[in-house]
Amino acid sequence: MSVVIRTEGVVKDYGHGAARVRALDGLDLEVGAGEVFGFLGPNGAGKSTTIRLLLDLLRPTEGRVEVFGTPPRTGGPAQRARIGYLPGELALAGRATAGALLHHLAQLRGGAGSDRITALAERLSLDLSRRIRTLSRGNKQKVGLIQAFLHRPELLVLDEPTSGLDPLLQHEFLAMVREASADGATVFLSSHVLSEVEVIAERVAIVRAGRIVDLDDVATLRHHAGQRVELHFAEPVAAEVFAGVDGVSDIEVDDHRMRCLLRGEPDALLTVAARFHVTRWSAEDRELEDLFLDHYRMPVQEQEEVAADVR
Amino acid sequence: MSAEPTTRRGKTPLRPQPAPPRPGAAPVLRWVVHTHLRTWLGWGVALTAVSAMYISFWPAMGDNPEMQALVDGLPEALVTAMGYDAIASPAGYLESTVYALLAPILLLVFAVGLGARLIAGDEEAGLLELESAGALPRWRLLTEAVLALVLVTAALATLVGLVSLGVANLVGMDIGTGAVAGATVGLWLLVLALGSVSFSVGAATGRRGLAVAVGAGVAVAAYVANALAPLLEDGAWLARLSPFHWYLGNDPLNEGLGLPGAAALLALALVSVLLAAVVYDRRDLGV
Repeated sequence: MSVVIRTEGVVKDYGHGAARVRALDGLDLEVGAGEVFGFLGPNGAGKSTTIRLLLDLLRPTEGRVEVFGTPPRTGGPAQRARIGYLPGELALAGRATAGALLHHLAQLRGGAGSDRITALAERLSLDLSRRIRTLSRGNKQKVGLIQAFLHRPELLVLDEPTSGLDPLLQHEFLAMVREASADGATVFLSSHVLSEVEVIAERVAIVRAGRIVDLDDVATLRHHAGQRVELHFAEPVAAEVFAGVDGVSDIEVDDHRMRCLLRGEPDALLTVAARFHVTRWSAEDRELEDLFLDHYRMPVQEQEEVAADVR
Repeated sequence: MSAEPTTRRGKTPLRPQPAPPRPGAAPVLRWVVHTHLRTWLGWGVALTAVSAMYISFWPAMGDNPEMQALVDGLPEALVTAMGYDAIASPAGYLESTVYALLAPILLLVFAVGLGARLIAGDEEAGLLELESAGALPRWRLLTEAVLALVLVTAALATLVGLVSLGVANLVGMDIGTGAVAGATVGLWLLVLALGSVSFSVGAATGRRGLAVAVGAGVAVAAYVANALAPLLEDGAWLARLSPFHWYLGNDPLNEGLGLPGAAALLALALVSVLLAAVVYDRRDLGV
């Protein structure tokens, strides 16, 4: 079995009648066994909805969801026993201690991993004797992470895993993900910050308004982010000269200086530029963060073109 | 493993899949008890104190000719509605103070509140998310939560029964163990039935406020219907609709618990929980 997560044309509506809200609008996704897959999008794009469908907490309105080749509803408890889940909005409360809660959650899986609670708590420096209601947000997040990793699941589904963690713990978290991945686990993690997942994910999907608008490996996405190019000329140039040149967009001309965004090979731009006297040039890689932002500034139609382009 | 676009890039092969683990015995039930026990003990103390206090007034109140004279002076309708007809007898006194009034009211507040909280309250607070995503089927989670309601209401009703017998004995009230036991079972079934209504509305909708409103609404309507029915001409039909009447209609402390009434209370609990289980299994959680 090489595909661990598959969604086909998944639509998910919340509410009924006039209050109906479409959270997912034809989501297609495929995550292979052993992949570390980043799922990116702003709040409200449908990340948590997708994830909660995988855990059978929600049922799709239309379309098909499969985890380990079986729809979550059919897969039931046996399927969920193979998944470690960290909710995006982790709510923990009560007088019970962190240790008691973790033992309870392990019991729901027949006690699988309860022998690892102490070690994982030490690793994340969580005091298991503290009462849950006295824990800070960061400490609650540690409880959430521990219970997700506890039973060495084959699939880790982590919704915004690093929120609330300080940089040191983020580092430890990344190490835990790498270890699970080296152990053969598939990791599906969501974030609204690209830099969080690009260091660890092999492939990244960008979701917006309930659909995947971009999906590729991190290297290709980075390539797609393009370069910020600046050229200085000996004499003033007109913007029209560069309009329509392959791969060039966002042209800004200021007297004898031209700035643009370049995606793909620079050849066409250089050929045109060579008709003039170039006095200075610079080109710098854009952060993936910029690409990510592009997707939320662009009108939907253009985005679909870009997405089609990437595919 | 076939060649998919995303292969496993030189990682170690997946471990062979172990058989799905068996959840420990009643983990959800144990957790509910673990997290609620302090509150429940508090209710136990309150019920004990209130029941003991009222029963200990027996020598001064019920067993007192002046009290009967006072009741005789009250409007007949009020006496009937409050169930004071037989307040001068031990059974009548115990019923009109503890079994028909204080214990059901306190226990109903408790059970309706707990019923609404067990699924709907925890779900609204997000606390059920991890348990729902664990390796238990939904029906099992629901069953263990109901079981918690069954057990704690039984324990608290039993406590009321034991306190009643004990204090009645202390103050020289002549009341049979069997009569108290029967009424206690009836009390438990009443509280369980209405707690189940609130639990079921909560499990079916995930809305705690709605669950409390429906549970409390049914309880108040049941109480009022049972109290008013004797005042109406041809009010018997109204009484027959009331779970309070199912519990008290047979005069349990004198005549024993009426089986049809007990069966009706049990049926109300079972049917509401079964309906809730069907809806709970199908619906979206935590939305």
